[in-house]
Amino acid sequence: MSDRSQLIETGTPFQFDAERDAEFERLVKRYPTRESMILPALWLTQEQEGWISAEAIGYIADRIGTFASKVFEVATFYTMYNLHPVGEYHICVCRTLSCYLLGKQQIVDYLYQELGIKPGDVSKDGKFSLEEVECLGHCGTAPVVQVNGEFHEDMDVEKMKALLATLK
Amino acid sequence: MAEMVKLSVNGQEVEVEAGKNLIDAVGAVGIEIPHLCYHPALGADGNCRMCLVGIEDGRPPLVPACKTPAAEGMKVQLDAEHIKKIQHDVMELELINHPTDCPICDQAGECALQDYYQKYDGQESRMTVPQVQKSKKLDFGCGVIHDQERCILCARCVRFTRQITKTGELGIVNRTDDARVTTFPGRPLNNRYALNVVDLCPVGAMTSSDFRFKQRVWFLTRDKGICHGCSKGCNIFIDHHKEKYKDDIIYRYRPFVNEQVNGYFMCDEGRMTYKKENQDRLLVAKANNAESIISSAVDSLKNSISSSNKPVFLVSPNCSLEQMYAIKKLGEAKGATVSGFSDGYILEGDGDDFLIQDDKAANRAGLELLGVDTTKEAFESAMKEADLLVNFNNDLAKSYDAAALDELIGDCKFAMVATTQDALTEKAEIAIPAASYSEYSGSVINTDNILQMFNKAVVKNEPFDDIVNIVSRIGGDVNENSAAWAGMKASVPALKDVEPEQIPEQGLALNS
Repeated sequence: MSDRSQLIETGTPFQFDAERDAEFERLVKRYPTRESMILPALWLTQEQEGWISAEAIGYIADRIGTFASKVFEVATFYTMYNLHPVGEYHICVCRTLSCYLLGKQQIVDYLYQELGIKPGDVSKDGKFSLEEVECLGHCGTAPVVQVNGEFHEDMDVEKMKALLATLK
Repeated sequence: MAEMVKLSVNGQEVEVEAGKNLIDAVGAVGIEIPHLCYHPALGADGNCRMCLVGIEDGRPPLVPACKTPAAEGMKVQLDAEHIKKIQHDVMELELINHPTDCPICDQAGECALQDYYQKYDGQESRMTVPQVQKSKKLDFGCGVIHDQERCILCARCVRFTRQITKTGELGIVNRTDDARVTTFPGRPLNNRYALNVVDLCPVGAMTSSDFRFKQRVWFLTRDKGICHGCSKGCNIFIDHHKEKYKDDIIYRYRPFVNEQVNGYFMCDEGRMTYKKENQDRLLVAKANNAESIISSAVDSLKNSISSSNKPVFLVSPNCSLEQMYAIKKLGEAKGATVSGFSDGYILEGDGDDFLIQDDKAANRAGLELLGVDTTKEAFESAMKEADLLVNFNNDLAKSYDAAALDELIGDCKFAMVATTQDALTEKAEIAIPAASYSEYSGSVINTDNILQMFNKAVVKNEPFDDIVNIVSRIGGDVNENSAAWAGMKASVPALKDVEPEQIPEQGLALNS
């Protein structure tokens, strides 16, 4: 449960690099309306910067020709969009029903104990960041943890410990 | 005439308009279906679930009334136990995180949540966990203050900025119980209709910085009126109140629904014109450049007109039709040139394609209908020879700067019948305070040639005369609105068949 609406402003204008620019123009042709580009454009931004700033949201809205408030809505709705810089290893623990019931809290508590970070934090060395996210769609193998996009299923504290060892 | 269908609500047969959604259709015959997110101007969104009803024809047990068109033979259930339960449960859900700060909330007294709580819920909270805390007192811009905790996420405001003003400043961010209405950083509300979100908000989440904490709504008297801010003539509620030992003042204007004129909304500038009714009013009469009682000023003006060889009467385009007619008749009787010159009221390019008009006068069409000349040439050439200018509340400062005004008036005697104290009344030798449009009854014709009547709303402790009465006191024949109408019906073809008592509430479209 978190308020994701406090966007970070970098103070510098954002724009796509040449590669993402070309990709944007390629993708926009796929859709009947330009507004459909909100999700892909946010992905492109995250690919490029690792996270999405207030400036980037404004840029995407203007580039697509829609309201910034709409892009803002979408970016804050999906927890897979990072709205602040993340660590080298970005750990996402699913917090939705199945994972909640099957012990996601023990994993989160363990990570706090081990790495000193709570959901939303980045470790001081910048190596790890932790986020509690909404349903990752693997309820059958809950609890689920995602590290840099890779799924680790049927998790528990022991398995998390082993996983961390491979990351350190 | 729309096609009608017969359907039953709780077993009672009613006849309603076909194809309309159930909320509006049965609402028109006085049966209320509770709803929070639906608004006739914004359409059905279906997010609040408060309007769920049962229809006995094999559809799912509950359907949202806002998205269900009325059809022949439909059996609508509103009082079945399972409907009452769902209404009760939806209310409980809405109130989980809603602060119980009604005693300090501006919406109290006109709040859908309060009303529905009494009607459909009425139980104590069963919540044992702390309520979700969100931001309060957020300045959204344009005088709109937002309280995220009071918000029930009906998205009326969001839909208004996206569908109506097409500026899209507002959005609902986050998800689940963290969802909230907000603006994007650096892009606050920035449109000329923003304050409508305050009226649209069914709860106290959107408040107006102008009205906040000024008055409890249950003290306000709501009278209908016509906004005189521009030539659209938006229908308004004049919300006013006379506190003990004080004078009757207006606290706010709110739009009143008139599909033919303004729909459901009004602009922010128009909304704020109520201030002019309260402030800077001309309160003291002047005769021979000195303060006097009103009757001496009236006598003085009467004598000045009688002794004048070439008087000019200048009419405001904001005067009512009756006032214009009375002034015109007096002008004809006294050999005066009557002019309605008021080019300064027109701000070229200021209007839009929604409600705001270039012409900031409520009744220019009235001047035209009565055949009052409004050209600059005619007015200025009459002024060259004039020895008396009687200005009936026309704000000349809009058309001339101070130097040009001095030159225009020259050593001509200058009298004002005015509502506002300003440089013009300072300049006038004779000044007579008059009632403003919230204080008299009359009619105006808007830019679309729609004739609308309005009635006196505010009664001041020391009321001033309507211009019609002042004109009669300075020698005019027309002494009241009915006399003006009798004259107008006889002399103006377009008004020949108009019965002033029978002008519909929506206004009467005149054939031009």
